[in-house]
Order: sequence, then structure tokens, then C-alpha cells
Amino acid sequence: MNRFLIILSLVFGVLGVVLTILPFGTLALIPIALAFIFALITVFRQREKLFPKLVLVIVFANFLTVIGKEVFVKDVVEVDEQFETIKQQSEQDAQKDLEGLE
Amino acid sequence: MSKKIFILISFVLVNIVLHAQVKAGERLVFAGSYEVSGLMTNIAQLTMSTSSMQTAKNNYLHLRLEMATFNKWDSYFKIRDIYESYANPTSLKPSLYKRSIFEGGYSKTEKYTFQPDGTTVKSVVKRGNRPEKQNSFKIGAATIDVVTLIYKLRTTNFAAMKPGSAVSFVLVFDEKQHPVSVKYIGKETVQAGNLGKKECYKLAIVANTNKLKGKDKNLIYLTADAKKVPALIKFSIPVGVGQLTLTSASGI
Repeated sequence: MNRFLIILSLVFGVLGVVLTILPFGTLALIPIALAFIFALITVFRQREKLFPKLVLVIVFANFLTVIGKEVFVKDVVEVDEQFETIKQQSEQDAQKDLEGLE
Repeated sequence: MSKKIFILISFVLVNIVLHAQVKAGERLVFAGSYEVSGLMTNIAQLTMSTSSMQTAKNNYLHLRLEMATFNKWDSYFKIRDIYESYANPTSLKPSLYKRSIFEGGYSKTEKYTFQPDGTTVKSVVKRGNRPEKQNSFKIGAATIDVVTLIYKLRTTNFAAMKPGSAVSFVLVFDEKQHPVSVKYIGKETVQAGNLGKKECYKLAIVANTNKLKGKDKNLIYLTADAKKVPALIKFSIPVGVGQLTLTSASGI
């Protein structure tokens, strides 16, 4: 049972890390919360074992990373020279098309 | 004589009130988010801007909607879309509609030229590396494009409408005409970016298309004032639900 719980916490912990790396924002908190719950249950059931405590610490660090990213990393749109050129070209073409209609 | 002057002044005033909402130099920025497992995740930024374009004979109002993914998404699914329309500044009748989309490697460009006869549109469509496709099709006198529709809504007098009533439009999209109606649901207060909390007209887009899903799930909230700024847009499409939240409004 303890092994099953620690495997579950590890699976959800890894999923949490993957979603933290990917730009899914707070979605990573779902597997992190599950990993935390399973790791916490394991810690209570196996107080003498170090590994469940280690998993708990890693999951908590992951949680702090997600919160930190949400608070401190702002969503920005990169200045895209190619996109700016497309917009300018489109405007020039539009002017010609409109003059062609007149 | 004085009656004629009164009618003329009234006509001018009505036009000013109706069209005061759409002027050049306006810039509205929205954060676009998409629901993933019940949580809204910020994906892209949508910018609505207006400017003037002067040609040899006419002046046009250039209405542009551009969407770009936030840089954190660019490596996974880059979006760079432009929807633009060139319309008469007073009547908002479009003369040219252009669409250029780039979504995760897929690209498509469309150009619809509204012919001066008022009943024909010439289209040029290009998908990816495929050859350009030209077409010509008939439209109604009141047919507009999707960009103009958003701005037309802002000139609609919702204060005079009863909840449940609707206004109808005909849109040209994907080389076809689509009837669209906009139902006025009522008023609701929502957060409108730097404008603060605003009382808004809550409107539902009703269209007989498989691109929009659900009843009253595609909503536009326009501030219930003279500016009628879109504060919040909620959409429900076959691949999920999302929303556009106004973050900043300038030049209004």
C-alpha cells in the first residue's frame, strides 16, 4: 500500500514538473496537489523513511515554482519583426487595392 | 425653413452620437485565455486598433484585429493572425476585408474586395503553399465582414432595446454569407481593464454555424456608456471555451 502511494505521488509529481516547465500556468497545481496529498499520507504512514519526505519537499518546491512563475513572470508578446513587416506590407497592398476600386 | 434646419441638426447629432464610438487612434488590448481542465490559461494577446487611411480620392477607417501568442507559447504553438477591414468612417460600410492567419505552421490569407456596385465581392484565397484561388460572389447590400460587425455593434443603441430582443446582420466569411443575430440579454457589471468595473450590455451571438457552440455561450460585454468598449468576450467553439479580457484601452 505504501509503495503504491509513493508511486502515485511520484507519477503526479513528475506530471507536475512537466506542466510547470510547459506554459500551462496554474494547471500544474492539480497534479502537484495530488502528489502532495499522496506523499503526505505516505509520510504519516512511514515516519521513519526518508524518501517520502524527500518527495514531499520536491513537490512543495514545485508548488512554489508555479506560484512564483504566476506572480513574477508577466505574459508578454515578443516583438516579431516578420509580423510587423507583414502588417506594413498588408497596409501598402490595401491602399493599392482601395485605389483600384475608386 | 427652421423645421428643415432642425431636421438637419438632428440628423447630424444622431450621426455623431451613433458613430462617436468608432474613431481613428483607438487601441484596445485583450488577454486571450483558454480553458484547460477547468482552469483558464493565458494563451495570446488580441489587439483591436483603428486608424485612418487616405487614398487618392477617399478616406477610410482601418479596423484591425491582431492576435499573437504570448512568448511562452511561441515555441509550442505560434499564432500570428491579422483580421482587418477598410470601411467608410461614417456608415462603416466595408470596401476591403483581409485575413492573414498563421497558426502553428498552418497559414491562410484571404482578401475580399467589396465592389462599388454593392452586390459583388471578389475574393482571393491562399492556403499554405497551394495556388491562389480567385472567386466572385453576390452579396446583399447590407452584408459586412466580421471585423466591421464588432464595430457596428458599438454603434447600436442597446439602451433602447428590451432584453431578449435582437439585431440582425449578414456576414461574409469563408466565401459565404452567414446570417448572424446579436441578442441583447441585459446588463451586468464586469471588470474592464484600466477602465475599472463597468456596467455592460451583455450580448449573445446567435449564428447558424458549427463554428460556435451552445446557447448564449458566445457573449460580448460592451460598456453601457457612449464608448461601448468591449470589456469581455466569451466564446464556445468545438474545441473548447475561452475568453478575451480587456486589459487596456487607450485613445477611446
